[in-house]
Amino acid sequence: MSQWWIRPSIRVCSALFLPLLVPGIITFFIWALPGDPASNICPPERCDTALLAKEFNLDQGSWVFFTDWLAEAFHGDFGRSWRVMQGVEIQELLRKSFPNTMFLLLFSLIPITIGALIGAFEIVRSKWDPILVMVGIVPVVVFALISAAVVEINYAGSDLENQANWARIVMGALTLGFADAAFSGSLIGFRDTLKQEKNQRYVGVSILRGETVLSNTLPNVCNALIGQYRSRILHILSGLVIVEVIVGINGVGALLWKGTLSQDFGLVLATATIFAVLSGILLIIQAILECLVAMHIRKAPTDVRLAESV
Amino acid sequence: MSRRISFFLAIFCFASLFWASYKAPKFLTLGSVISEYKYVQPFDSEKQDECLSSGDDSSSSSMGFGSSTKKSSAKDPEFCSSMYWMGTDRKGIPLVDYATQGAKVILFPSLIAGIVTCIFGIMGGLLRCVQLPFLDSMIQIFAEIVGALPRMVVILVCALVLPRDMRGLLPLALLWAILSAPTAMDEAGAVTSRLGGARFVEALRAHGFGAFRIYLYHIVALNLRPVVVRQGAEVMMQVVFLEVALSYLAVVESQPSFTHADNINSWAELLKMGYSAVVVDEPSLHALIIGLGLIAFVVVKATSITNMARAR
Repeated sequence: MSQWWIRPSIRVCSALFLPLLVPGIITFFIWALPGDPASNICPPERCDTALLAKEFNLDQGSWVFFTDWLAEAFHGDFGRSWRVMQGVEIQELLRKSFPNTMFLLLFSLIPITIGALIGAFEIVRSKWDPILVMVGIVPVVVFALISAAVVEINYAGSDLENQANWARIVMGALTLGFADAAFSGSLIGFRDTLKQEKNQRYVGVSILRGETVLSNTLPNVCNALIGQYRSRILHILSGLVIVEVIVGINGVGALLWKGTLSQDFGLVLATATIFAVLSGILLIIQAILECLVAMHIRKAPTDVRLAESV
Repeated sequence: MSRRISFFLAIFCFASLFWASYKAPKFLTLGSVISEYKYVQPFDSEKQDECLSSGDDSSSSSMGFGSSTKKSSAKDPEFCSSMYWMGTDRKGIPLVDYATQGAKVILFPSLIAGIVTCIFGIMGGLLRCVQLPFLDSMIQIFAEIVGALPRMVVILVCALVLPRDMRGLLPLALLWAILSAPTAMDEAGAVTSRLGGARFVEALRAHGFGAFRIYLYHIVALNLRPVVVRQGAEVMMQVVFLEVALSYLAVVESQPSFTHADNINSWAELLKMGYSAVVVDEPSLHALIIGLGLIAFVVVKATSITNMARAR
């Protein structure tokens, strides 16, 4: 891609497209699955499916359902749960669970940010890599079990429910921050990317010209570092589901899991869309940062007169 | 670790998994296990002697269900020794049966997912050598969209819409491989770009090499091999972890898993049993050790495959 703006433009388009694509695919499958969509909520032998279809806006076909749902979701109304808590407003469920997920996500960014900084400033040498890799290879399910056990042992049977909830979030964040090579990958990835760039010939020239290493290397590696950071956050979002269920955090991931287990399309539609929106926000942030980097590079003088600077 | 040791280790790991899945029982049975043998620890020679000396009493047949072959071979030495070398659970079911059934669940789906990822990686690498910028851009756009969503969310949506008779680990493993494909293709593409891409192919053509030798030997076997094999091994490992995670989440909610039939148990059951040992002091710590040991085994397998294929 020769033009610098193509990649950020694709990211912005993807970001706008994802929150439409995800509910679109789920809606398609609601109608593609065998049987009437209303019979997914309640079998015809037990309920009046025609009435249910009308109540859940399933009687006018997939397109009407999708557009209506999207319009209402845009105003914060995600419809009602089909099975997990039948009839309950999903908005209500999300109001309780969304803050927990956001706290979990934000806290889990701390280890990977620290890892990135340690890597960038080469505080940890590469001789420690085998240990870091060994710690990082532990899957999220094992770390989550340890976290759940720690919380359970300390807070089971106690009446400190609020404190226990915070302990769950902190332990969950530590799990997400260290499991599946989140911390070690961030540290090693940042360090290696910057190290590789520092070995470039132009950096040596710039040092001879009296310039700093960072001012020369950073604009060139910034896009790669931003990409790495976003992929780590996406990885954390992926692990959220496992951690929330195992550690017992009432979050959006846990709702998604419950919805999937119970074939609650209404709940999955809402929670999966929230994850798509979060992914879209990350894409837009990445695109903006890439544009800023590109503008910074283009603002730099193009006709550097080497003779004068020497 | 030298490449030769890694090679033998990888072969050993695969052979063990194949053997375990071949020996896995169709159903987990109480067999002829006597109820007081619940939570037998591994290598409990006292209990084993008791088993060997107990003979074939009537209680054994009344408790059994499922496979009848176990009942008939009730108290023979082979059964007793196989029964306790990993210990038993609270019902008296040998944990070795959980381990072998879990191996059966993960073996082929993870293998297929790994191979699919390798194929995608090879395709990504070769595409950079044939100079098709439009196709390259299309793949990057595809990668951008596919890679933008959290994988677990995609997996769960897929699990939700799969018809019940199609549920299993294989479709989810294939989806995981497709989701991992952009990374593999990108990395393999970077390798061939560093080689020189189309110019490298032209140079080899000038030496008189044929297409087969250039693409399959020089590019794939000599240059892409370390990257695509590592990607494949990683995906194999991730699929196993995915299975364990999904099964564990289902076990926690007392629901059937998406990844295997109800009559089969995965390694997640061992972790669940082991978790009870830590939290509520049930005498099932041996199950946790076995569960973690099996996960370590998968990590060793993936590491040794990666080491085996690394560049000289």
